[in-house]
Amino acid sequence: MNKVELAVIGAGPAGLAAAIEAAQLGVKVVVFDENAQPGGQLFKQIHKFFGSREHRAGTRGFRIGQELLAQTEELGVKVNLGSTVFGLDKRNLWVLKEGKTEVYQADAVIVAAGASENALAFPGSTLPGVMTAGAAQTFINLHRVLPGKKVLMVGSGNVGLIVSYQLMQAGAEVVGLVEAAPSIGGYGVHAAKIKRAGVPLFLGHTIAEAIGEHQVESAVLTKLNESFQPIPGSEITLEVDTICIAVGLTPMMELARMAGAELKYVPKLGGHVPVNNDNMETSITGMFVAGDVCGVEEASSAMEEGRLAGVTAAEYLKHIAGKAAADRKALIREQLSAIRNGTFGNKEHLKDKVKEENTLGLRFSGTPSKDELDSCPGVPSEGRLAKGPVAVIECVQEIPCNPCEQVCPKGAIKVGKPITSLPQLTENACNGCASCVTACPGLAIVTVDRTYDENKALVTFPYEYLPLPETGATVHAVNRQGERICYGQVVKVRNNKKADGTVAISLAVPEEYAMEVRSMAKGGTK
Amino acid sequence: MNILDHPILGEVEAAKRKVTLFVNGRSIEAYEGQPIAAALMAVGIKSFRQTARKQQDRGIFCGIGRCTDCMMTVNGEPNVRTCVTSVAEGMVVETQIGLGSWREIPHE
Repeated sequence: MNKVELAVIGAGPAGLAAAIEAAQLGVKVVVFDENAQPGGQLFKQIHKFFGSREHRAGTRGFRIGQELLAQTEELGVKVNLGSTVFGLDKRNLWVLKEGKTEVYQADAVIVAAGASENALAFPGSTLPGVMTAGAAQTFINLHRVLPGKKVLMVGSGNVGLIVSYQLMQAGAEVVGLVEAAPSIGGYGVHAAKIKRAGVPLFLGHTIAEAIGEHQVESAVLTKLNESFQPIPGSEITLEVDTICIAVGLTPMMELARMAGAELKYVPKLGGHVPVNNDNMETSITGMFVAGDVCGVEEASSAMEEGRLAGVTAAEYLKHIAGKAAADRKALIREQLSAIRNGTFGNKEHLKDKVKEENTLGLRFSGTPSKDELDSCPGVPSEGRLAKGPVAVIECVQEIPCNPCEQVCPKGAIKVGKPITSLPQLTENACNGCASCVTACPGLAIVTVDRTYDENKALVTFPYEYLPLPETGATVHAVNRQGERICYGQVVKVRNNKKADGTVAISLAVPEEYAMEVRSMAKGGTK
Repeated sequence: MNILDHPILGEVEAAKRKVTLFVNGRSIEAYEGQPIAAALMAVGIKSFRQTARKQQDRGIFCGIGRCTDCMMTVNGEPNVRTCVTSVAEGMVVETQIGLGSWREIPHE
């Protein structure tokens, strides 16, 4: 029997954050993970995270993973890899490592086992070439192999949107994204990125069939009516070799259930979850939960929950007490609620909103509507645009994010609190330096200089594809819908190390397209 | 297809060592440390096994060792999860039929 003070199950963002927090308070922590590498799904997250500086906003997921690992090492936290916890009661863990069973007795346990991707059954869904979006993401970003050349994405939550974008960054073509609901599930800024790349969004559609003898050769989509039933005769066939499924995740609560923790079925959290309070305590004394296992969210909130569970466990183990513990927990709770604010914090109200609103706008098209842009506090006035370079912040949804505010050297952008507020541009303070263009994790900011030339405007936008254009080259400029609307001449290509791969490209375009051009066609040199 | 260059992740290290494995008798190259499934994906092999009753093709589904759809017979051992098992020099990988069976791999 091996004795440990605190056992953490899962070395993903929640588990590692919990281990770090507890270890900082003097707890002896041992982490268990079935994988050969720690980090959970963090190392395949190559996009910049949202949130505030405290949430490491604007930092790419895999770099956050590297930071967490460095901290665990520094603190002497032991991470047992290749170690599958297959049994758990109130205090004991049964661990399978290299074919042998080891038993550990722990004074306290944090279950941070994460979630698994849901499958979707349809004719042909078992064909090779149909895989989860997470699988595709693992292969392109970790193993550096493309699963296919022409991909169909099923599901418009953040996973479906982000993985579509990353598949294109890796060199694949995304021929379409299907969503059964009438609106996009994930962040509009993620949808806008793939829309600008020209990916067709099939909202109100589902996949009817995958066709192929030994592997996927094509996919049939069908339109859905208001009660989500297929409309006969509406079928569309797309030639694809890969179909990615991004239809949600289910918490992996099996170990908590085995240990006897009380469960509750909460559909919006992904299914059955261990009942827990705002200290991350389960119904079992000395057992805590954190991350997707207690409700599917994303890595930023998983890390905050992990920290909270870490402090609570340290308090339970008598390493911290009273006001010190209460203050620490209050601070973490504040940060947790900061990222849970806004349009996406409470999924319940989304449905109601869809009913009320018309079918224009970012959530229905992947493109902000004229109304949305006109009322957006980040978009400068006509008068200001006429005076020279200025930032155009096309951020129209309340998502928790504020790197633009933090990066602006002129203090011209204000988000304030809560961090889900839309960024406000003080247009006369902005000099169009474009620092915010590469800092925005949503790639939703450009700068526009209508005074650039007599009949040319300069549009500077973020770009994260290869190949990069040469200065002086003529390229296809595209609008928010990804349509090639005019030619542009590349005036500047800024690849600042601080921007970590987000390149600022300045295109000279005909003046009348200044407020239309928002990117360039991928590899679209004339 | 291997992704040799990437806008965020950069180029694959040129110094990365390559190993050779044998897939149904065909020799393929893979990067050391790559899972078997990734090596197969890189050369366009998608069908990894056939189901017991209907002989239907199966390939990669979850990619992280949970679903067991990508199981193959590796060095004579059936039911190996190829998405979480690294390649090794001289490894013998075979399409698995049904639940597979244990057998000796003749060594030279």
